[in-house]
Amino acid sequence: MKASFAAKTLALARKDLVLEWRGRDTLPPMLAFSLAVTLLLAFTLPDPGSLAAPAAVPFGTVALADVLAGFLWVTVLFAGLIGFARTFEAERADGALDALLLAPLDRAGLFASKALANLAYLIAVEAFLLPLFALLFGLDLGAGWLALLAVVALADVGLTSLGTLFAALAAQTRSRELMLPLLALPALVPVVIAATELTSDLFLGLPFSALVGRGWFGLLGFAALLSALAGALTFEFALD
Amino acid sequence: MIELSGLTVVYGRTRALDSVTLTLHDGVTGLFGPNGAGKSTLLRVLAGLLRPTAGRVTYDGAELSATDESFRARVGYAGHAPGLYGRLTVRENLELFARLHGAPAANVDDVLARLGLEGLAATRVHELSAGFTRRAAVARALVHEPDLLLLDEPYANLDDDAAELLSETVVAWRQPGRCAVIATHGAKRVKAFADASLILKRGTPVSYRRRVEAGTGG
Repeated sequence: MKASFAAKTLALARKDLVLEWRGRDTLPPMLAFSLAVTLLLAFTLPDPGSLAAPAAVPFGTVALADVLAGFLWVTVLFAGLIGFARTFEAERADGALDALLLAPLDRAGLFASKALANLAYLIAVEAFLLPLFALLFGLDLGAGWLALLAVVALADVGLTSLGTLFAALAAQTRSRELMLPLLALPALVPVVIAATELTSDLFLGLPFSALVGRGWFGLLGFAALLSALAGALTFEFALD
Repeated sequence: MIELSGLTVVYGRTRALDSVTLTLHDGVTGLFGPNGAGKSTLLRVLAGLLRPTAGRVTYDGAELSATDESFRARVGYAGHAPGLYGRLTVRENLELFARLHGAPAANVDDVLARLGLEGLAATRVHELSAGFTRRAAVARALVHEPDLLLLDEPYANLDDDAAELLSETVVAWRQPGRCAVIATHGAKRVKAFADASLILKRGTPVSYRRRVEAGTGG
């Protein structure tokens, strides 16, 4: 009986989700962080009467929608980093990394399994965060929600691919909690900027067709594809 | 058969293995030596988990390569750490590693029975005693019926009955074409059934004797 690449990958991803379900030590901190930041914003940002209303920033004024979109993605980014930092925690705590590395599974499969688990956590955070933002900041996107989901999907692929890859690199160091943001943030910033620009446009009511024509959408798609490829192809070296 | 040629591993200023050149024949080899002799380092190199600083290792004539999936499929390794997920049950752990190695699911029940773990199959690993965790780790290394079995201190924390069970399991696993290296401080237990013994001291072999040669001091 020879298990396929996909079956092995899914078995490992399922293992990570079962471990999280039983331990609940990754998702709750990510959700708690997201809730705390969102509540803080709700009390500090001006009353969102109109998302197109100008908001003062250090170098002038921008639409409130820009500020909200920025905060949304920065919250997702840092909540994601909390999760990415724990990517190999089960293997480290239980000394299971050697056994895992000896399994006859392509390293791309190992990468995919870890990225899938991280993706599940990030989706859970966003499923909590987006309705919360809508509720607290009066977002009414109408049909724009579907477009937002497309942006979220592309951004998530980019964030989890790079986050998982850099988590493997950071896991080899003693100060991994410190190293992960230092290594990952510069690479994650382009994804966050593109996602923020697109989300801001959606908050301002631009239709999806107008978004697709913008360079940011192409950049986000390209970054997602490149990140997934880079993760799959270089994970072996990150673990070495 | 494993051939080591000029195998050297250096950690900083420490030479954990120093130009080791020898041939480990099929069968069970007991690996002995004091603390710091290089036993664990040698096992990690043989498993492909540690790249040597110099020298080469061949297994059945082919250069050992941890990036080679077909080589990894043939290796069963249980190191100092159990290599099991604490929040999964013993059975879930074994089923996971059996699946990753493409081994039949029936192997799980087989190794559970051989190592006397049937009654603990549904117990989470972090709830096991140290001795049972050790047994489960060996079960994990054996679940895919490897051709190359590498065990690092498998008798640690085992009572006499469990140690006997472990020895019987290794003897039952032994077949022509299979090779095992068992590092232990309990030389007496392994010498009782080993086909060869290798003693390391400060990263250098000071004795390698095969059972057939034992009488002649080979």
